[in-house]
Amino acid sequence: MTSIADMTMAELLEAYPSAQRALFRHYHIGGCASCGFRPDETLADVCNRNGGLDPEEVLENVRSAWEQDERMMIAPREAKELLESDGVEILDIRTREEYDAVHLEGARLLDQELMQDMLATRPKDDLLVILDHKGSRSLDAAAYFAGHGFTNIKCLRGGIDAWSTQVDPTLSRYTLE
Amino acid sequence: MSDDLEARIQAAVQDPQNLGEMSGADAVGTVGSENCGDMLRMWVKFKEDNGRKVIDKATFQAFGCQTAIAVASVATELIRGKTPAEALALSGDDLASPLGALPPMKIHCAQLVEGALRNALTGEKTSQPELAPTLLDRLSPPKNLKIKLQP
Repeated sequence: MTSIADMTMAELLEAYPSAQRALFRHYHIGGCASCGFRPDETLADVCNRNGGLDPEEVLENVRSAWEQDERMMIAPREAKELLESDGVEILDIRTREEYDAVHLEGARLLDQELMQDMLATRPKDDLLVILDHKGSRSLDAAAYFAGHGFTNIKCLRGGIDAWSTQVDPTLSRYTLE
Repeated sequence: MSDDLEARIQAAVQDPQNLGEMSGADAVGTVGSENCGDMLRMWVKFKEDNGRKVIDKATFQAFGCQTAIAVASVATELIRGKTPAEALALSGDDLASPLGALPPMKIHCAQLVEGALRNALTGEKTSQPELAPTLLDRLSPPKNLKIKLQP
């Protein structure tokens, strides 16, 4: 039987789909080419070249990643109340075309320039609410900000599509083809 | 990472030197992929100095890791006035040295800067390992899909 430390990263990601987010949130591993890993590296290899991390401890964080993801999710109605308070940054991670077609008032399209500006200058405890189309990618963006030290991040569950159905039916729904 | 190093990286990121594309550059070098927003590019301009060709100015654009931005910022200052051979002799550690010694998990950030510089000065592509998709790859929205508004 393969020990935990001998699991390849490809095997780890297959067994734990939230693993990549957990690795970046906790250890700043796997966010970009600077800190990426090869799929055929073992967990032990990655731990070793990242300052001698304990593979057991890393795996424990990976195992609890799903719960960590869940804590970041916020339902549309709950988000509506939150967005009515001051100082909330709504980040839209969809394409420019989707944003132009339909977007939430006050939401900013997250492009590379805005991301770099936020990472460099925004206080790390600012509240960020991240949204995508249907809620499938916002957790990855949240993990990226969390791995850069941001502590107060929420992801809109179901994305802007759920907002249309649960909060504001006047906002057009759309499909991508 | 030590607090001192973290503070120096943050200071460099908040006030990066030589950031941005350079028009009229003599050489350009890139590592990484622009498509997935995970890229570092460096522009270099030379000048003659007492019969030697030296680096007059270098600028960079970087998307991705904050440490890579910090290293590129200090490295573009460090190589100013050096000949291409002198600049090429600098390792990633050398290029990052104004920030202090990087921890093992950050050394690759300096190697990215070294790779972009090498690509600019020699045309040589630094071989990049075949990586698993990174978070930046995964959060890039799917491209070339048509939007169909529902009635």
